[in-house]
Amino acid sequence: MDSRESSRFTAPLTQRVAEDADARQIADAIGAMWSDIDAALQPVLGRRGVAALFKRTLHLTTLRYPWLAPLNGGTVDGKADLAELTELFASQRPAIVMEAGSSLFMTFRELISSLIGARLSEQLLQTAWSTSSSAPPAQDPTP
Amino acid sequence: MTSKVTINSLPTGVPGLDELLGGGLPEFSFNLIAGQPGCGKTTLAHQIMFALASEARPALYFTVLGEPPLKMLRYQQQFAFFDPAAINRRVRFINLSEEAMAGDLDHVLARITEEVAAHEPSLVFVDSFRSVVLATDAGGHAHNHLQRFMQQLGMLMTSWQATTFLIGEYFTDTDANPVFTVADGLIWLRQSVQRNAMVRKMEVMKMRGQPSLPGLHAFRINGDGVQIFVPAPVAAPQALGGPGSGRASMGVPGLDDMMDGGLPRGYSLLVAGPSGSGKSILAAAFLNAGVLNGETGVIAAFERRPGRMHSNKALAQAIDNGRISLVESHATDLSIEEVMQLLAHEIRRLGATRVVIDSLSGFELALGPSFKDDFRESLLRLVTSLTGLGVTVLMTSELEDRYTDLRFSPYGTAFMTDAIVVQRYIEVDSRLRRVLAVVKVRDSGHSDQLREYRIDDDGIHIGTMLADQEGLLGGRPTTRREGAAA
Repeated sequence: MDSRESSRFTAPLTQRVAEDADARQIADAIGAMWSDIDAALQPVLGRRGVAALFKRTLHLTTLRYPWLAPLNGGTVDGKADLAELTELFASQRPAIVMEAGSSLFMTFRELISSLIGARLSEQLLQTAWSTSSSAPPAQDPTP
Repeated sequence: MTSKVTINSLPTGVPGLDELLGGGLPEFSFNLIAGQPGCGKTTLAHQIMFALASEARPALYFTVLGEPPLKMLRYQQQFAFFDPAAINRRVRFINLSEEAMAGDLDHVLARITEEVAAHEPSLVFVDSFRSVVLATDAGGHAHNHLQRFMQQLGMLMTSWQATTFLIGEYFTDTDANPVFTVADGLIWLRQSVQRNAMVRKMEVMKMRGQPSLPGLHAFRINGDGVQIFVPAPVAAPQALGGPGSGRASMGVPGLDDMMDGGLPRGYSLLVAGPSGSGKSILAAAFLNAGVLNGETGVIAAFERRPGRMHSNKALAQAIDNGRISLVESHATDLSIEEVMQLLAHEIRRLGATRVVIDSLSGFELALGPSFKDDFRESLLRLVTSLTGLGVTVLMTSELEDRYTDLRFSPYGTAFMTDAIVVQRYIEVDSRLRRVLAVVKVRDSGHSDQLREYRIDDDGIHIGTMLADQEGLLGGRPTTRREGAAA
């Protein structure tokens, strides 16, 4: 994945949080973004289908951020885990939260792209990416 | 005042399917696509969906249990018709696995109703329906539940002006399945495996109010999706042909004279002879004569390995120049309809007047095993369809080197052609020599001579009769002695 593509991907997360946001705010944004992805994909792939993708994403992300490991044990199945995810993120330093969150979504995107192709993935996730009504206005990406 | 309702026919976008259905898909019909796993049901459904859905009237594709949607999307997007940009715009996938897993058909129906009301689709697909049936947990009342579900679904879809497809796996078509009764259309996909070849066939078992084509029809799935090979409509032979409407030169000096001025246009000619007797050379000469006359032609080659066709320079050049189109196939599961489609396409593209099939023997070998049983019938259809297009056809046919009987083709195909030229080997003075004769040219005063011919780099040269020999067709002629006749 080239850097332009990855910045396009992480943009939704950076758009959702203010620059001086604390860990809790970033964690909530990650939680909200995941909810949006879930809402966009669930009608098409089914609840269990999306849950399976999320579980795989977490597994891959945990390799780099071992503190996410507690999420890997149980069945990833719905909202309870989302709350747990947000809590885990909120307990880290803001910079780490931002980095791990971006990595989480990037991994997810790579995963789904490898399965159904980048184009179809984008098409399906369009609604999730564009949900930014509560976010601060979009900024031009810094060069 | 009575005005009857007009049922619109929707073009399905699947090559051959509209003809098979008897003129397209009736709007608001309730259809079933059935068949065993892997026979192409989902592919057919997707192809129809992407062809017909519009943003104003989208398609809803309900995935129930069975194939996970993720996998379906992964594999279906390999087809050319799959348009990722259409997803969530003119095509919507909706997963019903949760409702189906709960085992309650009412929930499934409620969810379908809800989505149909929300999106007002023009097309609705439920894939797969078998999983809906399996999910039914009605303690012995499954049949009744299913029947009710079907009726309600059918009613709902028609009222919402949606053309509907249920996709299902049904292993027996004799089941008194309630689905079959309610459905307006029943499309059955089959896979016929014989020896090491598999042929896909489609049958429209029912299509209310439309004259669908009966019987099994071969189809193929490639990168473009499903393509069905329906029989070409057999047109009445055109007013071409017959004496006086022009003749096509055979391109072999002397042969035109033997045929009373060449092969009448619109006729079919069978060239029969043993291996190596020069049938393909005669066929090439026939095509070249057309090219020299400013005509175009099509050659269907089933026997020769690629490249060998180019041993004939003039023909190779005509192929390179696009004057002759070479239809080659090395598949082993062709159907006659598929070959006809290939030929008809090339004939129309070039405006061709001459067609060569070289040879029928190779052609038969190229057919799928399940098509070989009706080879004669299919061949007759092919010949009639080709001459119906107004072209002049030359077919070659391999003859066994057998001298005890005089046969022109191993298929009993001689009667279906308008003209026959036969080539034979004979033994004279310890040499293998060749003779040919024009056996038949319908409605023409053709020659009855057995003429010797030789083949060199320039082609076939017809010589004289071997007047001093007799018993030529027995393969071992004897020198006639003057005055020996009783």
